[in-house]
Amino acid sequence: MNKEIGINQLKRRDFLRAGLVFGAGAAGLAAGYAAVPDAFARAVYAAKQNGMANDNVLVMIQLAGGNDGLRTLVPLSDPTLHDLRPKLAGPMVSQALPLNADFGLNHNLGGIKSLWDKGKVAIVQGVGYPNPTFSHFESIRIWETGDPTRRQVDGWLGRTLAKAYDSNGHPLTGCACGTTDVPGALRDLQATMTVIQNQKTFGFTGGSEVEAAVGALYKGTPGIYGALFDTAIATANDTITTLRTSSSSYQPMADYTDKVKLVYSSKNQLAAALQLAAELIVTGTGVKLLHVTLGGFDTHYTELNRHDDLMGYLDSAVSAFYQDLAAHGKADKVLIATWSEFGRRPKENASGGTDHGAAAPLLMIGDPVKSGLFGAEPSLTSLDTTGNLKYAVDFRSVYQEILGGHLGADSNQILGGSFDRIPFLKAPVAVL
Amino acid sequence: MALRLPDPTTEPTTQTPPPLRRGFTRRQALAAAVATGVGVGAVRLLGGTIQNITRSSTASGTDWVSPLGRESARVMQLLRRTTFGYSPAQLDAALSDGYSKTVDRLIDTKPAEPPAFAAATTPGGRFAVPQLQQWWIGHMLTTPTPFAERMTLFWHGHFTSDYRKAGNNTFMYWQNLTWRRMALSNLGPMLMQVTTDPAMLRYLDLSTSTGNSPNENYSRELMELFTMGAGNYSEDDVRQSAKALAGWQLPPADSTATITVDKVKMVTQKLPVYSKQRPGVFNKKRAYKGSVTFLGQTSTLDTQGVIDRILAQPATAGFIASKVVEHFVTTRPAQSYISRLADTFRRSKYDMKTLMRAVLTSPEFTADANYRALLKSPTEFMVHGARAVGATSLAKLTATAGSGMGQSLFDPPDVSGWPNNAAWISSNTVVERVNFVTLALAQVKGSLPSATDAARTHLDGVLSPQTATLLNQAPDEKTRWFITLASPEFQLK
Repeated sequence: MNKEIGINQLKRRDFLRAGLVFGAGAAGLAAGYAAVPDAFARAVYAAKQNGMANDNVLVMIQLAGGNDGLRTLVPLSDPTLHDLRPKLAGPMVSQALPLNADFGLNHNLGGIKSLWDKGKVAIVQGVGYPNPTFSHFESIRIWETGDPTRRQVDGWLGRTLAKAYDSNGHPLTGCACGTTDVPGALRDLQATMTVIQNQKTFGFTGGSEVEAAVGALYKGTPGIYGALFDTAIATANDTITTLRTSSSSYQPMADYTDKVKLVYSSKNQLAAALQLAAELIVTGTGVKLLHVTLGGFDTHYTELNRHDDLMGYLDSAVSAFYQDLAAHGKADKVLIATWSEFGRRPKENASGGTDHGAAAPLLMIGDPVKSGLFGAEPSLTSLDTTGNLKYAVDFRSVYQEILGGHLGADSNQILGGSFDRIPFLKAPVAVL
Repeated sequence: MALRLPDPTTEPTTQTPPPLRRGFTRRQALAAAVATGVGVGAVRLLGGTIQNITRSSTASGTDWVSPLGRESARVMQLLRRTTFGYSPAQLDAALSDGYSKTVDRLIDTKPAEPPAFAAATTPGGRFAVPQLQQWWIGHMLTTPTPFAERMTLFWHGHFTSDYRKAGNNTFMYWQNLTWRRMALSNLGPMLMQVTTDPAMLRYLDLSTSTGNSPNENYSRELMELFTMGAGNYSEDDVRQSAKALAGWQLPPADSTATITVDKVKMVTQKLPVYSKQRPGVFNKKRAYKGSVTFLGQTSTLDTQGVIDRILAQPATAGFIASKVVEHFVTTRPAQSYISRLADTFRRSKYDMKTLMRAVLTSPEFTADANYRALLKSPTEFMVHGARAVGATSLAKLTATAGSGMGQSLFDPPDVSGWPNNAAWISSNTVVERVNFVTLALAQVKGSLPSATDAARTHLDGVLSPQTATLLNQAPDEKTRWFITLASPEFQLK
């Protein structure tokens, strides 16, 4: 698989601007803006282009590996489920937390169920795209770029950063938390974004002299990786400066301890990543687009326990995150949305698991959502030729609502078209 | 002094700025950066040699000036891309052998076996993974045949498995031994081996697949990631070969041991103990009985039949050749280059030595356009750095530091293994690369080797104005090594 990205697309001008901002930042922390978080945040919002006037924040949670939609939002009344899944269906139906007569949440999503009861959860059913691929990597790329034709290289959130925000010098406008790599959704060579695996250890060992020397070492670096390197170092330095202030002023108001022990440990500590997201949001760093990942959803094997545990893990992390934001008075600004490259095959396999599927529901959580079920219930009896659920909602309809309705961005420009509306937001900020 | 490098005994990894001492300050660093600028430049390097540093190029700004017109530079690049760097003596030996003899030596020398890993017989393979990571890194740091380790690392990222799902770390150890042993063998037997590899049987679920109710996981990735690439087979092929491949199970253990797995609740488990490496076993009862239509032909098909049919597809040789080129030559190969290599590979009946020789002796490998076209993976970067300063004691640091740079051995991010080149660069990973250099230099026992020639032997003497300036300003060996190893030049290969 070739993950190369077109380095030369990075405009030299953009890099040089980033470099100048770094210089200013190192010289005097730009007249102290980083020391005054709210002023810093205001500076970011003031710098926005094209009427991007709100201070809403988006947190995308990737459920990597292909989340089983039928075990997330469980069909309670369709007997076909038991024919398709003789081993898996029984307990998942009997234990589900009913939302209405026909659907219930996975029994480990108790925290999200109580948010549903408070009117803070929207579920979009049957989300997918035409002619689905069953390759993880092709489908991830389609979701990340927002382009089922696979021509687009940049991520949909990366394009949003590049087109809708002026993030020069404000490296946290786009941020991937709890990982080391740039997620594809945020990738755009004309966007500045940062990656923070762990905010407590993010920084140069040896302190500010190393920081300064490295800043000097990575300037005007020649070659195809030069601008990428220089931008990464400049962004890292800006991030260090910002984190220094935010970490000292943030007190978590929720328990982020992982309450579920996974069958095998996850590479991504979701709760820790969301705690970092909360820190960046409540301390006014100007963060707009956050991306976190929870892996382990490729449940070909012994899905019963593994998927339930993953649901519980997701539930406890998201619940703590919401509680923390609410306690800090930021819950009204933040939309939490899940995505996964595909759902899973309705029919179970011999390993007590399920193979790669197609359409699946997405969870939209937070004060901005209009609670309820959206989209359409996929039929278990009318499957496609590969034995998978047919999609009812194009995933770009969901992106469109997020971009236009929540962030106030020009979704048509970012997605290259308009799609059917799925009105899962209480008060969309833009007419779509 | 310029950079104050922490001493591990007195100052482990403090984040607070150290007091400024004489020498290099932030202001000077910035001034230096501003003063040098970019463009055509000639910078006085240590020792008074004038080096032509950069030249103008279109659109993308500046590019490195390729030194590959010189045989010595070609040899250094060869070693950088196929080993973990070199000591002065190793470099001298390769330079006196010359390029083509060095290629022969790399390819024809039998891989040195790593020391036996004592914890391998732990019941259930329940030893800590860092032990295994350190064992392998330790071997990379000292082995006389580093090309074998580079190829083992390549295959570890290609036929990848992760310890979390494999669930028995002894299986991960075996898989590592297998890829070293087969690193330069033949794709056909390798595919049979990977299909029946115990860690892989677990990782991609083939050990729980049956002919009646096949699990598609292995079947799909065998074609998508291991051999042909997406787009060269149909969904039906995935389902049909899943049937044909079903029946493999984990090898029986030599004995079992009853182990207390939870000391608080006094839970005991009967765990398998393996005294020697074994492949999976085929259970006919679990196999599919009928015929399948796979890649255009209908017949009864066993695992070897599936592999043979995959090897008969033209896509396979090109897919493997592309992956090798992306690791060893360039991220943007011409299609004609891949076709040529694929043709050679296929005609050799998938002999890896033939493919690697064709790659290393191709004009593309030493083309100016492909100079510094690749980025060292975290493991390559760290082991090369440690070997450059003669530190063979850094296995522990190297095994743990990789995760912040995106590479933890035996724990790939997903079934496609690790990404390449540009994907290694993020704000998190660049900081962690620099931090590794700081910590490694603080942990080196005894005195550092002279850094006077480091820029020439490890960076080809082709430096950005910034690197050259900072090296010239560096007052001591430690700082000079820091600049050398933390430089952008050293990240490239």
